[in-house]
Amino acid sequence: MLAKRIQPMASQAKRLYVELMFQVMGRALQAVSEVDSEVQAEARTLPEGFLFEMMVMPDGSKLIVEHIGDGRFHYHGDSAPRPVDVSIKFKHLTHAFLVLSFQEKTSVAFANDRMLVDGDVSYAVRMTRVLNRLEAFILPKIIAERAVKEYPANLHLPEKLISAAQIYLKVATHFVQTVRA
Amino acid sequence: MSNTYYEFFCPVKVIAGKAALEHIPYELSGLAAKRPMIVTDKGVRAAGLLDPVIAACEESGLEIISIYDDVPPDSSTTVVRDIAAVYRKEKCDSIIAIGGGSAIDTGKAVNILVSEGGDDVAKYTGAGVLKRPLKPFLVVPTTAGTGSEVTSIAVITDEKKGVKLPFTSSYLLPNAAVIDPRMTLTLPPHITAATAMDAMTHAIESFTCMAKNPLSDAYAAAAIKKVSRSLLQVMDNPKDSDGRLELAQASTMAGIAFSNSMVGLVHSLGHATGAICHLPHGLCMSLYLPYVLEYNLETIREPLSELLLHLEGPEVYAATPSSRRAEASISALRKLRDALYKRCKLPRTLKETGKVTEDQLDQIAEMALDDGSIMFNPKEVNLKDARAVLQRAWA
Ligand SMILES: [Fe+2]
Repeated sequence: MLAKRIQPMASQAKRLYVELMFQVMGRALQAVSEVDSEVQAEARTLPEGFLFEMMVMPDGSKLIVEHIGDGRFHYHGDSAPRPVDVSIKFKHLTHAFLVLSFQEKTSVAFANDRMLVDGDVSYAVRMTRVLNRLEAFILPKIIAERAVKEYPANLHLPEKLISAAQIYLKVATHFVQTVRA
Repeated sequence: MSNTYYEFFCPVKVIAGKAALEHIPYELSGLAAKRPMIVTDKGVRAAGLLDPVIAACEESGLEIISIYDDVPPDSSTTVVRDIAAVYRKEKCDSIIAIGGGSAIDTGKAVNILVSEGGDDVAKYTGAGVLKRPLKPFLVVPTTAGTGSEVTSIAVITDEKKGVKLPFTSSYLLPNAAVIDPRMTLTLPPHITAATAMDAMTHAIESFTCMAKNPLSDAYAAAAIKKVSRSLLQVMDNPKDSDGRLELAQASTMAGIAFSNSMVGLVHSLGHATGAICHLPHGLCMSLYLPYVLEYNLETIREPLSELLLHLEGPEVYAATPSSRRAEASISALRKLRDALYKRCKLPRTLKETGKVTEDQLDQIAEMALDDGSIMFNPKEVNLKDARAVLQRAWA
């Protein structure tokens, strides 16, 4: 509680940022799965109706997408129609913030025990690859290189999708600067 | 590569060295256990390895209430249920698992059922399901490789669904791991070699993969040194009990290292190959190790260079220019594999196994990409990359 009184704005800003980024990623996941054959190939092996969640423990922001078949994702916002199949849980808001503001790579965050996987690990591995590809898609190269282990050589970006996502991103990076300052 | 944050956890008491088995009665009494059950396999019993354990207990007036010696190489939920039923019927109050990976994993799973109740261990699959300590549990490893005595994971096959169920919880860790050189003295040469290379791989991957940390590094480096110094010595003189103890300790140390810093692509490929081609795990580790290190080379140059000291000793390390040390580490491992091939035909390529066909490589690559350990490989791996490593490992 003491921490809350000292830094109310920073924590609130992180919370908003994480929530916003989850929305950006959820929409982008759906959009990318409609155009990118590599994401589709990864997703196709997931069962139809497969529900994937990313969330902040204990009961914070959520991102839920469903594989609706043929490699396509549908973004459900923050509520799942039924129990999810795989959940990636950040242990703390700060850890989610580190990852979603691209200060810590997703793979490093796993290695650092920042998050837990609940559910079938092989599906989680697949979703991590989808997320890596997504980050490479929606982020300017310079930031994406920080976020993923390796920047893919074969990105062919549908211009509209990117510009939309990058607008979100501008808001987002502005947030990061405010919060980090 | 260095992590700014890490976690390290190993609450297992290690009881190691000559006459270690004789500490079992004392350890159990300290846990208020009076009616232990032994969980083991036929091979262990046939090798006479139960005798010194039983004798050690009886001499202290501790009766072994029940012995289950029928754990298969790939343990199943049915086996776990059956053992739990015997445990309950005989009113046992503790478990001693004696054996390799399968017997130990089975012991862990039985401990879940007899502590938490029920007949269906599948109910407890996943991470963090267990919320409290289980029954007193000791582990006596009889192979020097898996490190299962210090890992908080068990894998059990669900026969009905045909899937492997992972269980992870720190409560699965035994109260103590008893490492006695008598238990590995009769291990046949090819198993000695394969399991030691499994330990070597645990240590090397833990030292070079993404979750490496200073505490794991210390255990991993020491394990690599022990395997490098003792493996060939033991291969040439199987009754060398000091050498055996070195390998057994190395295995436990490598286990402590990798359970805290995870493994990478060698294990992803090895798990897939094991599942598809039914090759022993340690063999796959030895086989893939140099090819994966070559694939990762530019990402792991620094830690791999450091390992030369532990693989080859200070003279070679000092004589090798620092820009060549990473490559020299890989050569040292290749040299070790050649020496093992000479002594017990431990395969160095997929072709040499005689059990893999070239048209299976696509399937292996595909499956390896879904393995959890691939997340911790320092270099990103896609299907093409995995396939290319397999091609190099083919012949
Ligand atoms: Fe292993």
